[in-house]
Amino acid sequence: MKSLFKTYIISLLLIITTAFVVKAQDTRIQMSSLDHLAAKASETVDVNVDERLMKLAARLFSDKDEDEREIKKLIEGLKGIYVKSFEFETEGQYLAADLEPIRAQLRGAGWTRLVNVVSKKEGNVEVYLQFAGEMVNGLAVLHTDDKELTVVNIVGPVNLDKLAQLEGQMGIPDLGIESPKAKKKTNEQ
Amino acid sequence: MKRIATKIFIALLLFASVPFVQAKGDDFNSVVKMIEDFYRVKHVGIPFLAKAGMKVATTAARIKGGTARRLAEAGSIKLAVFENQEFNGDFSRFRGSLNQALNVSWMPLIQTLSVASKEQTYIFLRNAGDKTDVLVITIDERDATVVQVTLSAKNLALLLKDPEGTGKAITDEATLIDQE
Repeated sequence: MKSLFKTYIISLLLIITTAFVVKAQDTRIQMSSLDHLAAKASETVDVNVDERLMKLAARLFSDKDEDEREIKKLIEGLKGIYVKSFEFETEGQYLAADLEPIRAQLRGAGWTRLVNVVSKKEGNVEVYLQFAGEMVNGLAVLHTDDKELTVVNIVGPVNLDKLAQLEGQMGIPDLGIESPKAKKKTNEQ
Repeated sequence: MKRIATKIFIALLLFASVPFVQAKGDDFNSVVKMIEDFYRVKHVGIPFLAKAGMKVATTAARIKGGTARRLAEAGSIKLAVFENQEFNGDFSRFRGSLNQALNVSWMPLIQTLSVASKEQTYIFLRNAGDKTDVLVITIDERDATVVQVTLSAKNLALLLKDPEGTGKAITDEATLIDQE
């Protein structure tokens, strides 16, 4: 009886743990397929603020201090910020195929591309949100230009307002995103 | 039943805390050695390095305001400087080795590589109780600096807000302290 109970508890814990891992993986975009571009790029930026650091920061930051309070509010609930950015000397240093593994993930369940998002930046900016029901679990931005490629992935509850506040902070580049009231356009088209 | 639940709870707690209680070996020296081996360079001996931590407070008092002063409040500091030497080598390979070496107890925060200016900057973080250890490695064509400082929560907030700028300020301040 005891042994059965033990097995039951362990199985239950395994299921719960797996569910959390799968959820986290779904929202976090795997960007390692872009790593080889660093060899061709003139400038490379790689930012990793993972869940451990987010938790650490949330624990350490005080509400009494203005700087700490500001950053604490911004990162509240977030589970990670990941950025990969490449600048190239010449055009044609990366191919559409290089981005395909990223796009394949963004075509996955829950991801929705926002249309009519306007950016001051040159090139093409695509913004994706991952929904779980009405809740937003993550955000991804793809900025592609002839000589530039940037992928931003924020894991956790985030919206365009928060993204706008985070731009230029925590290693997130200035994406110049202007329209916070974007319409949804699903991927199932 | 209670005992089993308690054991599972303790096991989960231990599992959850693993990343925060990894052995804190002397990664600073390992990184310095790695740069020396990879680029075949030698860091400059700093006779006052051991006292650098003590000098921080007085230096901070002399710096009038600005980021440097705020960072200097942290207290402990380790510094290695490589001056006027050749840093020729494959960025990606060095980066891979560095990440692999620090993977266990350090979290990579930001890494920037510039082929044009031959500059590399790496910032890693490690939990140190109520503070955070920060390891900043900057390498350019002729010089390199490895700095390890312990930051307060306030300074960690500054670092998170502006990793590149604050990382540079940490290196600048450490070098300034060394020169005094």
